[in-house]
Amino acid sequence: MIQRLYVHNFRCLENFELSVKDLPSALLIGKNGVGKSTVKLVLEIIQNICRGVNRVGTLVEPKDFACGRSDVPMRFELEALLEKRLYKYELALELPERFKELRVLDERLTVDGNSVYSRTNAQVELLSKPADHTAQFRVDWHLVALPLIQQQSDSDPLHIFRTWIARTIILSPIPRVMKGESNGESLEPKSDGSNFAEWFTGLLSLYPAAYGHIDKYLRQVMPDIRDFLNQPSGKESKSLIVRFKEKNAKMDVFFNDLSDGERCYFLCAVVLAANEFYGPLLCFWDEPDSYLSLSDVGHFVTSLRQAFSGSAQLMVTSHNPEAIRRFSNENTFVLDRKSHMEPTTIRLLKDIDVKGDLIDALIRGDVSNEQ
Amino acid sequence: MSNKYRPHLQVLLEDDANRQIANGFMLHFALDTRAIQVLPAAGGWEKVVERFKDTHIGALAKYPERRMLLVVDFDNRTEERINEIKQEIPSGLSERVFILGIRTEPEDLRNQIGKSFENIGQALAEDCADNKCTLWGHDLLRHNLAELNRLSSGVKPFLFN
Repeated sequence: MIQRLYVHNFRCLENFELSVKDLPSALLIGKNGVGKSTVKLVLEIIQNICRGVNRVGTLVEPKDFACGRSDVPMRFELEALLEKRLYKYELALELPERFKELRVLDERLTVDGNSVYSRTNAQVELLSKPADHTAQFRVDWHLVALPLIQQQSDSDPLHIFRTWIARTIILSPIPRVMKGESNGESLEPKSDGSNFAEWFTGLLSLYPAAYGHIDKYLRQVMPDIRDFLNQPSGKESKSLIVRFKEKNAKMDVFFNDLSDGERCYFLCAVVLAANEFYGPLLCFWDEPDSYLSLSDVGHFVTSLRQAFSGSAQLMVTSHNPEAIRRFSNENTFVLDRKSHMEPTTIRLLKDIDVKGDLIDALIRGDVSNEQ
Repeated sequence: MSNKYRPHLQVLLEDDANRQIANGFMLHFALDTRAIQVLPAAGGWEKVVERFKDTHIGALAKYPERRMLLVVDFDNRTEERINEIKQEIPSGLSERVFILGIRTEPEDLRNQIGKSFENIGQALAEDCADNKCTLWGHDLLRHNLAELNRLSSGVKPFLFN
């Protein structure tokens, strides 16, 4: 569970702190351009690092500096409570004069305040267990060290942190790119949902009991579903077929022929099952209400909130009244920004004086972080 | 696809505080989130009644599997307000319509027990799931117990797994 995300000098986020300690679910609201999706982008950068992308130039670009201010380091900090231990990952990037690509200024991973490794410029200092001696080595300034360091076991903090972030579900799905054909397996879903079938296959391959979990959810949202098959369509490939039944009538539908909203139901079912079988996970879903009918939005969001409790965590963004109503004042964050020249501010809704109905106030444009 | 032909509960509530309590209630792990739908807050108890009469009486008659819960603040006029609302419920539908509310207003309950509205809702749901009256027995809530029993016997079989 994330406790705190701090970002400085990245796009519209300057000295930006999202504090979600002890919040199993949180909603980010605000007008277009205030930085909601930039928060998602920051999580994706850290996730890409943990999925093995280590070239700084492929993670961020010089244009990502806030207002082009490249003389100040860009900084990312993530604090997360995993298995009751507080992990803190820090990464600062800089762009020296005449450089075209950012490089690492400093980097650090700590657990409960104890260093796992720290790095300044090219010099990395790694604490080795059990002797507690430090090993020093040098890394190219343009490479992030976190994915490079060899883990010693599955209980190694490096493994725990990297696996958790790598498996974090960050979604901004485009149903049309979600296909039913898979060529392999994965537990690392892509943001647009384009490897949905590989994720679905990977989940069922590792946790066959997840089928029942997915089936139960789908029956609630599509009462006429009979079952679904992930049948081989080639040597390495599988194809997802959904079968419906109403009285004596039966119908088989390829996953690719489902509607956009129905594909999102499948995605939600897999999100819930993934959290159940290899969680607790963090899920950041950018506008989960997209593609859904108005009568389904509330149920959809509530089922996510209900499932992501305890040590799991759900963060969503939304402009949809039905989705917004499913959150409360203590877990709704208002992001605001006076102009493109000024940074994003963030406040909890409970600390803002909203007159009358929240949705009416949002429609009027009267919800802001002005004191 | 619609579930309106299956047993379900719609909740029509007075204000934003009650909405947040309902949000917490729906987070209970055993609650079937597809069997309950919280409608936008009406903005006052009289508007709850007005909306119920204008919109929901006809729909209740049309969908026999629908139950309706009206959540209002009683503002220290519990008996009087309940009677006023009951007068507006057609006798043929009264078995499927329920009225609950805090004796004064939700802010008083929040201040007295020091919990957020969502946490209050979660505690109320736990009571319902476990057949307890820990929070439902609070001075600001216990006047609901008879109605709560009537509601539970009608909706609990499909609302909680």
